[in-house]
Amino acid sequence: MTATAIQQVRPAGARYEALVIGIAAIAVAGILALYVHERGREADRAPLFEWQVSAFDTLTGADQAIYNSLYTVKDEIPYLYDDINLNNAPGVKFRWPNIKDFNDALMAPFLRDRSWEQNGELQWSFFQPLAEGEMQGSTMYLGTDGKAPNQGSFLLIIGHVHAGFTNSNSIVIWWNKKNHVTMPESGFRDGLILQGWREVVPHNGADEVKRIFGDDVPQQEESTEDQDKAEQAVDDLFGSGK
Amino acid sequence: MKPVTRLRAMLLAFTTLLLSLGSPFAHAARLKVGITLHPYYSFVANIVGDRAEVVPLIDADANPHGYAPQPKDMIRMRSMDVLVVNGIGHDTWAFEILDAAGMRQKLKLIYANDGVSLIPVAGAPGGEKVVNPHTFISTTAAIQQVYTIARKLGELDPANAAYFRDNARRYALEIRKLRASFDAKVAGAELGKFRCATMHSGYDYILQELGLQVTAVIEPRHGVEPTARQLAETIDRIKAAKVNVLFAEKYFASKLSDTIRQATGVRMYSISHISSGPYTPTKFVEEMRENLDTLAQAINDASKG
Repeated sequence: MTATAIQQVRPAGARYEALVIGIAAIAVAGILALYVHERGREADRAPLFEWQVSAFDTLTGADQAIYNSLYTVKDEIPYLYDDINLNNAPGVKFRWPNIKDFNDALMAPFLRDRSWEQNGELQWSFFQPLAEGEMQGSTMYLGTDGKAPNQGSFLLIIGHVHAGFTNSNSIVIWWNKKNHVTMPESGFRDGLILQGWREVVPHNGADEVKRIFGDDVPQQEESTEDQDKAEQAVDDLFGSGK
Repeated sequence: MKPVTRLRAMLLAFTTLLLSLGSPFAHAARLKVGITLHPYYSFVANIVGDRAEVVPLIDADANPHGYAPQPKDMIRMRSMDVLVVNGIGHDTWAFEILDAAGMRQKLKLIYANDGVSLIPVAGAPGGEKVVNPHTFISTTAAIQQVYTIARKLGELDPANAAYFRDNARRYALEIRKLRASFDAKVAGAELGKFRCATMHSGYDYILQELGLQVTAVIEPRHGVEPTARQLAETIDRIKAAKVNVLFAEKYFASKLSDTIRQATGVRMYSISHISSGPYTPTKFVEEMRENLDTLAQAINDASKG
């Protein structure tokens, strides 16, 4: 048996080749990192205006708990309104629920229970709009002077279409990082923003489903005309829920 | 009147009668409403009463954590008119079944959490903000889901929409009364002495709405046990924060909780994930009542020192 001589032949452009491969690898890694950085973050949560704050990312502890309770209550306010006014005697003015009504209905964050104490004992007050004049149109609930560390204030506003809001009875929740504030003189957005109020935007289940599935959210194909009519009828019954 | 004319007139009258009854006839066949998780069985059963049928997608004794879909699930799914899903991470297997059964574009889905304001998992590693899908272990988020489901079912069955809404309101009040009962049980307790850790993130919603903060979560991800290093760090964190209560899962026992109890001296309590046992209309309220009783007991014990 004869021994085989092994001779290693180095390519003429070996150094150049290694350099090119190295640069290409770094470039690919860099592009991927940039893509993940940009697109990944963009896909996470919807961008906000500077006059908005995220309930998910910005609010914490007691303030987040209070917001989430308000977010549920806002859908129930129209029901309470109906309960209060359904059997009004002739001539009795319709009214929105006050703080006592919420307490009677056991609704957090207005209900004065141990959870209310734990979440900072926010002091709630109610502003009912005048029948006529400048203050007509915005029913407001202000929660302020909380005792929890770094606690802000909350404002729930029911806007009415005749006061210039685009949606009839739109309900919006605002947050102010100041611990003590007074009832705003108006529920209009620009004035509130100047006073330090920020609209709170939730990251809700619909947003999360969209984040998970993108444009391919599993759902029955196309809404029929009958379904659209049914949705409208239920909106009338439940309130728009928007 | 000729016999043929009389017959035509009778047929016309009968047809007119049928058409005038329209809606009730259309709904004589009750909706078959599918559900993926135990709480949704209770929610839907309380909303629809006897005017729809509630159909669980998977067997009652199946573990919804990491569930492996079975062929019979596809058969069940094909019988449904609509399926109520968590949709934000707690029933991902339902979407596998949806695809396998070829129902992705055919079955109406109700995303129960559409209107729920979500919170991040407490104590996630590195402060990362990860969505917590356990919205059903709560009262506030549960009520929000009940309203969403009632509204969507009303769109599918407009004749019963008002009935569903009224039932949803009644059920929401029943859930709220659970909170009132809890409140009475912790009257006089010193809540400041209560510091808790949880085995996993399942209880964040209920603890947050009660104003109780979670100091540490043992599992780095739902269903994922920590490494030895992570466990050691968590034990150090529990000791440093003087945590005195550990909440573990009632149905899915873990030796880890015993290890932590022995290492730190915390009192351990079991909370139900409401994800096992028979599907019943009363299950959610019954198990949430038990959970709130357990929380009240833990608070009172911690208050005594």
